[in-house]
Amino acid sequence: MENHVSFPALASLAKTYPQAASSLFATYNDLLYAQRWEDLTVIDLPERKRGALRGCRPNSKDTLFVLPCSMSETVSTSWLSNALKALDEPGGIYLAISTEDSSIVYYRISRGFAKPPL
Amino acid sequence: MSRHGRKGGGAKKGGNRRNENNITYACPLPILLEPTGYKSTKALLGLFGYSSNRIVHPHVEGIFDHASHSVWVKKSDQAMLLWKRGFFGKGNLSRSEPSWLNRQIHQREMQRKGGMTAEEITAKRRELRNQFKLDRARAIAQAAEEAEAAFAERGIIVTETSVVIPSGATWKPSSTPKDRAVEESSEPSLNVTEPIEAEPEEEEEEIKDVEHLQLTLQEAFFLIWTMDCLTVLDSLTNEPLSLQQIWNQFQNSHLPATTFDRTLLQASIPNRFDNPFLINYYVYHHYRSLGWVVKGGIKFCVDYLLYKRGPVFQHAEFAIVVCPVYEDPKDRDSSPFALQNVDPFTWSWLSTINRVNTQVLKTLILCYVTIPALERVQMPSLESPSCLTYYQVRDVIVRRFIPARMRD
Repeated sequence: MENHVSFPALASLAKTYPQAASSLFATYNDLLYAQRWEDLTVIDLPERKRGALRGCRPNSKDTLFVLPCSMSETVSTSWLSNALKALDEPGGIYLAISTEDSSIVYYRISRGFAKPPL
Repeated sequence: MSRHGRKGGGAKKGGNRRNENNITYACPLPILLEPTGYKSTKALLGLFGYSSNRIVHPHVEGIFDHASHSVWVKKSDQAMLLWKRGFFGKGNLSRSEPSWLNRQIHQREMQRKGGMTAEEITAKRRELRNQFKLDRARAIAQAAEEAEAAFAERGIIVTETSVVIPSGATWKPSSTPKDRAVEESSEPSLNVTEPIEAEPEEEEEEIKDVEHLQLTLQEAFFLIWTMDCLTVLDSLTNEPLSLQQIWNQFQNSHLPATTFDRTLLQASIPNRFDNPFLINYYVYHHYRSLGWVVKGGIKFCVDYLLYKRGPVFQHAEFAIVVCPVYEDPKDRDSSPFALQNVDPFTWSWLSTINRVNTQVLKTLILCYVTIPALERVQMPSLESPSCLTYYQVRDVIVRRFIPARMRD
């Protein structure tokens, strides 16, 4: 991981939160290279002991927040509401769950009930 | 990419694709059998039940990344070999085999020629689907309004309305100016005979391939131990690891780490039977040795998916959830690992997983793995894969029973 071209942007957070390093790395690479997100930046989120990501989808101006986690972690509703409070994002965040085989699934998490748009 | 249910014009295309797949993915495992010797020797050996084939092991190199519990294969020809012969691994920027570089090159070419890339075609399809949903929502709202009005005026409940609610099969998109513009821009890609204008091409940077094939530790150990076709290098020194080192380090990578630098952790001796690597490897080896192709199942809320031949042939038939069972409850209290699914499922959770998989036509299997007690089995057995003989596995199929419908 250390020799990868995208590691320098994540090095300090990977060293501060070693347990969350692999999910941060996998999500960062997926958003940057595969999903082609723009203005991708890494944020320190000490409340959840990990780094989070902020960026825009291609051809869109809305800033979205992504919180990486891994399959082996247990995520409770209080865990999620702490994260929502810390990121202070009214529109909700995306939770990126990464696995050992490099699959990532994204879930949209909002505060309270959110009816689907259609 | 499934060709199920496509008849008529698609059938011929489906047949060609199937033949191509049968040729490309002909080898179910990385090793090849090469016939050697004369016909007479072969016949003689054959009488005694011996094969005169020589086993050819390909040599693939991977780098062990302890933080992500995986082995990375960076060379694309080796990555494709592992994928084509047994569907091992997954490209970390792709859905299946590493195709990120090809997609970038293709996207560049398409942009130059003005055609649509696969992602743009998908975007258009999603836009159409959104429009369908809007039309349908509007039609439903209109029908509800009519019914309300009829009830208010005449006091009767109307079940049939004059509004036609569109369904997926019958809906046709109304052509908007945007659609027409997109259709026009996609024409150049279809018209092959049109000469491409000679424009002065800008100096484009060569795209550096940042993708690798990611093997889980279970896949990697299977390839090393049973197939002998993978060499694992240490990520810092680039030196090949011995089998003993690999066995120890794969287990140690699951120990909770307080620092990013794991050199101290890597040196410790494994002493727990409930290491996630051991449990998952046991399950992986069990199903692989029965001939199934085992892949990750996160998209369906499960641990593993079993394919008969591979993802390119048919959808997975079975979805596996691994449920570890401790032989000795005391081992659970002293465990440094947070194993999942050790407690019995709640009914709601089991129903959820079962429903998700039933909707995608997969059968749910609960795979109970018994973890041997530390008291009963001696510690030195953990030094080698021989400790796997102490584990047991039981499969239980879960199917929802509907008495009214399942009379046959």
